[in-house]
Amino acid sequence: MLKHILVTDSTLRDGNHAVAHQLSAHQIAIYAEAADKAGVPIVEVGHGNGLGASSMQVGLALEDDVTMLETARKHLTKSKLGIHVIPGFATIKRDLIRALDIGVDVVRVASHCTEADITQRHLGFVRERGKEAYGVLMMSHMASAAVLLEEAQKMELYGAEGIIIMDSAGAYLPSDVEEKISTLVNGLKVPVGFHAHNNLGLAIANSMTAIASGAKLLDATARGFGAGAGNAQIEVLVAVLEKTGYITGIDFYGILDASDLAEKDVMPLVPTIKSESIVSGLSGVFSGFAKHVTRISKEYGVDQRDVYRELGKRKVVGGQEDLIIEVVMDLVKNRK
Amino acid sequence: MTEAIRHLITEDCRKSCKDTAAFNVLKDDVILVTGGTGFMGKWIAEMISYLNETENLNIKLYLLARDTKKFEDEVPHLAQKEFIKLISHDVRNLYDVPKEVNYIIHAAGTPDNRDHVSQPLKTLETFYKGTTNILDAATRLPSLKKILHLSSHTVYGKNNDESFINENYLGSLEVNNVNHVYGESKMVAETICAIYRNQFKLPITVLRPFAFIGPYHDLDKPWAINNFIRDGILGGPIRILGNGETIRSYLYASDMAVWILKTLVSGQPGDVYNIGSKVAVSLNELAQKIGASINPAIEILSKSSKENYTNISRFVPETKKIVNALGLEETHTIDDAISRTIVWNQLNKK
Repeated sequence: MLKHILVTDSTLRDGNHAVAHQLSAHQIAIYAEAADKAGVPIVEVGHGNGLGASSMQVGLALEDDVTMLETARKHLTKSKLGIHVIPGFATIKRDLIRALDIGVDVVRVASHCTEADITQRHLGFVRERGKEAYGVLMMSHMASAAVLLEEAQKMELYGAEGIIIMDSAGAYLPSDVEEKISTLVNGLKVPVGFHAHNNLGLAIANSMTAIASGAKLLDATARGFGAGAGNAQIEVLVAVLEKTGYITGIDFYGILDASDLAEKDVMPLVPTIKSESIVSGLSGVFSGFAKHVTRISKEYGVDQRDVYRELGKRKVVGGQEDLIIEVVMDLVKNRK
Repeated sequence: MTEAIRHLITEDCRKSCKDTAAFNVLKDDVILVTGGTGFMGKWIAEMISYLNETENLNIKLYLLARDTKKFEDEVPHLAQKEFIKLISHDVRNLYDVPKEVNYIIHAAGTPDNRDHVSQPLKTLETFYKGTTNILDAATRLPSLKKILHLSSHTVYGKNNDESFINENYLGSLEVNNVNHVYGESKMVAETICAIYRNQFKLPITVLRPFAFIGPYHDLDKPWAINNFIRDGILGGPIRILGNGETIRSYLYASDMAVWILKTLVSGQPGDVYNIGSKVAVSLNELAQKIGASINPAIEILSKSSKENYTNISRFVPETKKIVNALGLEETHTIDDAISRTIVWNQLNKK
């Protein structure tokens, strides 16, 4: 039996990390149109850290949420418009209601992998409004399969129609993916998904392992455009899924065209696995830290590989960007 | 409350409670309901209201809950009734209840499993402390006649292969899993009831509720039937999450209220009874019925972690004991229950 895989294209959300959240309305418009034409099921749009996250702490976005969402909405006819929502950054009253009113179809409510409790109200609200709601567990390499299952079960009870685990640090090996995805598939009622990062060059392999372990939802981006070393490359993923007999509903030539366009007009540089990205992946550090680590390390003349190692030791998670400077200052102090 | 809603509720009470004279034994009595402002409490209040009006029973009803303001806002027609008195109190810190109380229905503690997983310790505390406190208070009541403890079908644990679960069934509960805290807490509460019955000779009867549906059931609760109705009213699609072959059954709200009150007056102290519907329905069938009732063209989606399930979850009560002992019946069919719940929610839409 042919198996259907639901692909979410995060180019216009995770990709925003890669450009310090500076994607323009024009870039959003042209890529959304291309992805829509290719038949991508869900196009995720917004600040890298999601709705309401634009701030000095994690980075100011070039465009505000309303502009980004209205622009994307205008250029999506068949594809659903998705957003990433971290409760705390995004509030229901200030952000979520407005986003749904603009016409967001799919809301993926995310928390650190051990803090699913914070997603209850947001997930419930989205379901009450009749929209699609998914739960996302970020930095999932930091929790055991058993803990992930407990947290995912909470999200399922809160109303999530699927649970996606994120390899936010690009730290997973295929064996880790197999263990965690199969535990979730066995223990949950709703479909399970995987969001890869490519720090160790395993984004596609890990995504395929996730599918082989029972996942039905995958995230990917054009040319892998995303935080740190980038994500699973959507055009490669579609090709590999087709070759292995899965259905995505995405037109292959269409997604190749969209990716070509993204390379030319959306991204200043195609993501590569830089040396520091490998260290970041091995250290288990959130890929969204990459820009900050590079900038601050340069400013104080420290080796960013040492910064990643130390951040990894401290088990720093997304939202703790202010600890990067602390780590750098400690390295400067120790150097003296 | 509009005339149409009032009419629907009164019709429900009339259909479910044909033998109003059976409740004459409650004339001039005082009933206290803990957790009295929730779904069960509202329906007990509606049914007592109906009995007071039709049989002139003059029953006084105390509804005890943490948040009585919500009750006043949601059902002002009940909150303003002369025979209803609201007590704002948390059962976890309860010491005394009004001395005039003759009957206690202990229904405190939400069955909402979102709250159980988010606040497992509070869940355990509510059932442990709440049950102990209310039974302690009951030992000091001079005119106490009966206590009805509302437990839960979750005390049965995992159903392996029973078509209908009877009151003697013993399934297993994974004690090392925080998601089972509700079932564990309800077991603790039943044990506390057994202790007070034995040591303090309190006349306690236990009811084990299964699933219900009807007016006053919040559609945001995390149960399939509520969510299907909500999805349907919103225009769809109706989303079946997990295995569509899962089997449940649903007793209509007004039937539930009659069954509870009948057990209160006629149930044997020390006995345990299931309360629920014997009419099994799969989630796939349920979604079809709800879709057909709202709009036959509505889309029904199925989202599941896997294609093949090794076993099908089934929770349907054996209700012979309560039906035969107390002369009860299900007066609303599942189709009737669905359509009346939909109509009530549509009429009640803000």
